[in-house]
Amino acid sequence: MAGKRNSTLINAVIFIVLEFAAIFMLYSTRSLQNIWINKATHRVLGLIWQGGENIKSYFGLREKNRALSEENIRLSEALRRLQGQKSALTGAVADTLTGHYKYTPATIVKMSRNSQHNYIILDKGSADGISPKSGIVAANGVVGIVEAVDERFCYGITLQNVLVSVSARIGHHGAVSPLEWSGRRSNLAVLKDIPMHIEVAKGDTVWTSGFSGIFPPDIPLGLTGKSRTVDGSVKEVEVELFLDFSALRYVAIVDNQNDYGMGGFEE
Amino acid sequence: MRKHYRLIYFLLVVVQVMLGNLLNLGPYIIISLLPLLILSIPIKHNDAAIMLITFATAFTVDFFTHGILGLSVVALLPVAFLRRWIIVLVFGSEVYSRGEDISVKKQGLVKMILSLLIATAIFFAIYVWVDAAGTRSFGFNLLRWFLSTLISAPVQLLLSGLLDMED
Repeated sequence: MAGKRNSTLINAVIFIVLEFAAIFMLYSTRSLQNIWINKATHRVLGLIWQGGENIKSYFGLREKNRALSEENIRLSEALRRLQGQKSALTGAVADTLTGHYKYTPATIVKMSRNSQHNYIILDKGSADGISPKSGIVAANGVVGIVEAVDERFCYGITLQNVLVSVSARIGHHGAVSPLEWSGRRSNLAVLKDIPMHIEVAKGDTVWTSGFSGIFPPDIPLGLTGKSRTVDGSVKEVEVELFLDFSALRYVAIVDNQNDYGMGGFEE
Repeated sequence: MRKHYRLIYFLLVVVQVMLGNLLNLGPYIIISLLPLLILSIPIKHNDAAIMLITFATAFTVDFFTHGILGLSVVALLPVAFLRRWIIVLVFGSEVYSRGEDISVKKQGLVKMILSLLIATAIFFAIYVWVDAAGTRSFGFNLLRWFLSTLISAPVQLLLSGLLDMED
């Protein structure tokens, strides 16, 4: 069997060598075939090079995504700083905290999404200047809050955790109330304790208020939906979150540089 | 006849050269005896030797014909490479175990014409395609391949008796 296989292999090699010799003869003798072979060779080489480039690009996508995410976070940070400066210049409410958040890009190492107490682990730790009670954000929403930090990693609880509450505002100048995950659907949250006299229209954008000191103001969170009265005294409004937790891979950790020990007051 | 096999083989090569140089049946029809020559090579030769004989035969034809050097070689080498597969497919593997040579007398007319059709179709598929070098339409090449195979195979069948190794 091995002998037969060897003989087939030898025959194939002889065939290829002789066929190439014939192609070379064709290539060197007649211009029409010469051009044709040249064209075919270039096409094959082009396909090979293109295939190689495609493979290279595919394996480089992760790095490109990371770079884009970091760039996105830098731009968001710059935009928020400029918005703060603009507010101060126009004499509107000048939020002195706006420009004092430090953003650290991070990659998600692990994230749970199927329990009521979901958590996240990121690849940045105390060595990168991360401290507990920092916020975790993405371009289109709040992800969670850092709870514990070691040298290389940090552990946080996500917005999809019934223990997390984020201070949110309806519209840029509307009512402020705590936003919590509903626990029923991955992208459904609830704005709680809204006074009865405040009218909330469906489809209003909900933003972070910036009052907690953990998250900067004006991060878009989601759109308002149905509302209902609770205990006859306050309203609850459903919020469809913008953030798709299932597609999340890169985030930023925000640290309030001007905390001034507010955490201590809050506690 | 056995003694004259090489001579007849050589003469058929000369006939092929003459056909290539003197016979003009229009743009659609080419007559080739080369697939027959390759199929008729005695079974005792191994495949590598058959491919070398094929190369030499086709090169000679290309060299002495006002054609393209390498064209017949390119087209005929795959026939030589697939010769064993064609023979086993049409005549069965017993031909190799018995060391039997290919002839109409032994294998019958139908099998012989079938093997010649397959070998000639392979030969002309490459020959017509390379000869056109991308300058002819697919329809032209297809018709040329079809007519050349259809006419060359019976011509080869008629001449196959000359190469019969039996006395």
